[in-house]
Amino acid sequence: MKKGLCLLLSAAMIASLMGCSKTDSEVKETTQTSEVTEATEVEEDLDYEFGEHFKSDEPVAYSMFWSDHEAYPITENWKLFSKIEELTNVKLDISKHTIARTDYDEKKALMISSGESAYIVPKTYDENQFVDGGAIVAISDYTKYMPNYTAFVEQYQLGPDLQTIEKEDGKYYRLPGLKETSEQEYTFMIRSDLFDAAGVDYKTLEKDWNWQGLLDALVKVKAYMVAEGMCKESDYIWTERWQGDDGSGGNLLKLVGATYGVRSGWDVADGMQFDREKDEWFFSETTPEYKEYVTQLHKFVEAGILNPESFTITDEQSCAKFYNGESVMLGVNKSMLTTYQENLDSTLGKDKYGVYQIVYPVGKNKYTAESARLENGIMISSKALEELGEEDFIKMLRFIDWLWYSEEGKTLAKWGVEGETYEVAEDGSKTLLPQYYCGGLSIPQTSEDQKDMRIEYGYAGGVFTYAGTYDQVTDNYSDTLKEYFDRVSNYREVAPVRPAVSGSEEDNEQINLIKTPLIDNVNSWTLQFITGQKDIEKDWDTYVMSCENLNSQQLVDLYNEIYTRNKK
Amino acid sequence: MTKLKESKSYKVFKVVNTILMILISAATLYPFLYLVAQSFSSEAAIYAGKVTILPVDFTASTYLSVLSKGEFILYYKNTILYTIFGTIISVMLTAMLAYPLSKPKLRLNKYIAPFIIFTMYFGGGLIPNFVLMNKLGLRNTVAAFVIPGLISTYYVLLMRSFFAGMSSEIEEAAEIDGLGKGGVFFKIILPLSKPILATMTLFYGAGYWSNWFSAFLYLDDKSKWPVAYYLRQIILGATTTSEVGANDAASAQIAANIRSCSMVLMVIPLLIVYPFVQRYFVQGMMLGGVKE
Repeated sequence: MKKGLCLLLSAAMIASLMGCSKTDSEVKETTQTSEVTEATEVEEDLDYEFGEHFKSDEPVAYSMFWSDHEAYPITENWKLFSKIEELTNVKLDISKHTIARTDYDEKKALMISSGESAYIVPKTYDENQFVDGGAIVAISDYTKYMPNYTAFVEQYQLGPDLQTIEKEDGKYYRLPGLKETSEQEYTFMIRSDLFDAAGVDYKTLEKDWNWQGLLDALVKVKAYMVAEGMCKESDYIWTERWQGDDGSGGNLLKLVGATYGVRSGWDVADGMQFDREKDEWFFSETTPEYKEYVTQLHKFVEAGILNPESFTITDEQSCAKFYNGESVMLGVNKSMLTTYQENLDSTLGKDKYGVYQIVYPVGKNKYTAESARLENGIMISSKALEELGEEDFIKMLRFIDWLWYSEEGKTLAKWGVEGETYEVAEDGSKTLLPQYYCGGLSIPQTSEDQKDMRIEYGYAGGVFTYAGTYDQVTDNYSDTLKEYFDRVSNYREVAPVRPAVSGSEEDNEQINLIKTPLIDNVNSWTLQFITGQKDIEKDWDTYVMSCENLNSQQLVDLYNEIYTRNKK
Repeated sequence: MTKLKESKSYKVFKVVNTILMILISAATLYPFLYLVAQSFSSEAAIYAGKVTILPVDFTASTYLSVLSKGEFILYYKNTILYTIFGTIISVMLTAMLAYPLSKPKLRLNKYIAPFIIFTMYFGGGLIPNFVLMNKLGLRNTVAAFVIPGLISTYYVLLMRSFFAGMSSEIEEAAEIDGLGKGGVFFKIILPLSKPILATMTLFYGAGYWSNWFSAFLYLDDKSKWPVAYYLRQIILGATTTSEVGANDAASAQIAANIRSCSMVLMVIPLLIVYPFVQRYFVQGMMLGGVKE
């Protein structure tokens, strides 16, 4: 009796579990149509116009994920969506797919994996996890239907850039934001008043100074500060921020490393660098250039300039040191410019200090650390192709092409409507109407009765506005910022893009297996060299050996093997 | 009465012990004091790194603005509602499940208990759960926030051993006096189980109070968010922007002060309730955890 009951209950348990798995499999499997029929349709037959304008004859709705930003939460009053609908007859339906920005990537992934994806998946930085499951469309098969996109790619020769996001099948799965030129927005802000007082002519120096030049300048500034009693000989006058919580050394090491042609900090990835002359990949972390690079950085610490805590401290702490005058230099990007000044106003007092965004030094080359011209982008769910059918799918792509890649679409998303939110001067420059300011465009509030255009109407938000030509990207920049970018483009060069290396799933797994312990090792040695816990001259060979023991050579071989395979 | 003379080593122990305990208390108390101090300090002082355990340039303006902002109050209300109703239902259901399980004479228990314990070791996983809630039409409803965690197996077991330790004579006596099974449970057993009920209330209550994950999964509609999820937004919003250096001046502007204020506001109710329940709490843990 007991046994019988036991069996019965176990059977019930198994049956209920099987029931569960059945409901799982009910989730529609997404399949991809790989064959794409050439567009033979004549434009007159279409129920929409496309190109520089897009308008559907019939009203249509496309579902889309929305990354809701806490600084400008979406409201029902937003004109952004109603204006898009008015111009194109397309309703972007975000009602079931609005996610708080901070959880956007995780929840988006969860919903896509659960078969609950929206058609349009914007604001995607990393599409890799979705590629193999077939949940997203290989969009490179369809870009030929996107006139604005293809024209931009051709005009600015973005072909090699796009190759870098291709997968092993030679296709790419994300429509990236396209930029005419890369932007070196990360650099350093210096206390120009102190540099001036110490007699450092930074405006001439920055044209082609090297890191030693910067160090010499900082030593002079410190000598001045010590003489004036502003700090002690034992104090550090530079505590850097953005240290990268992963122990990589973050922004500073990325910037300095790039000038030595090595990969470090935020840009360390797997340490692999490309040699154009030899046409092969090499491991940059054990090269003589790497040694030179850590040696140079160590000199900053040794000279009592760079605080070794820079690599462990929180951003708030390092900013605090800049705000209270202990630090004379701090990493900056375009969005921190005004924040720093506002805070310095409150701690040091308005007009009692000066700041300047310098062009950071060169090392072995004049390259900026930033060379990418691709931005985050849009994935398209396979569900869209399945449910809409190919013809309507292409129509949707043409809408996307208009909104994200046409001049008209970009301007609408960034500035709103001419005459309603902004006006165009005779020289073509745009300004907001006096009743608006905009945090997103770094256009500050000047009077109490102004409203933030982004909060009020949703224009200039991060989901639509991030790429374009140089003019489009910079048309909202302040004069100071424009002048900084001019200096960067005059004094520095953009590094050529590294060729694509797209391995199979197994290759990538292998690379990851080697990469994790190897790069942890590199990062920890790098910081120890820089902060002086390890002696560069004495311990260098041990370091190189430790990398070899962690299969750095195997990684190089694997890379070159994939690279040769890709070339064929 | 003569006092027992303390040995020298005991005196040393007492001193060392006291010092150690003071140090430990200081270490645990400091972060909280720091938070409170920060929440009452001016931004300038915070940015200059001057705040330690006492507020600098005292200001309560952030509290005022947080509390006057409709959304914070709304989230707070949500949390209170979810916590109160969630806890009541959870405790009731847990007790109602644990009670029959504690009766050895109910033979089916042997076969049902493994099913309950099974859920402690195996869960459906995130995606199947999400799909299930979706198919049930519960996504974006308060039910999705409450139902999945309504009964905790661990607490059921804890309660079961508590009930098992009660004498059966009292139940028999009550039945002889005319009470039915339900009457025994509600009129005799529950009133005698205050310690374990208080413990469960605290456990479930704290769980609901700080639960943000269910909100993350199932609540798309902001007006239904609990305050814990809102707090997570504030904290993440500030740290991720500085980490990645996102291009948004506005999010970088979320002041450190708002974070600390929200944290303090969130912790206060727990701090108030805890001392009152603590008495039962210790008792309940002991009673439930020890089996005869």
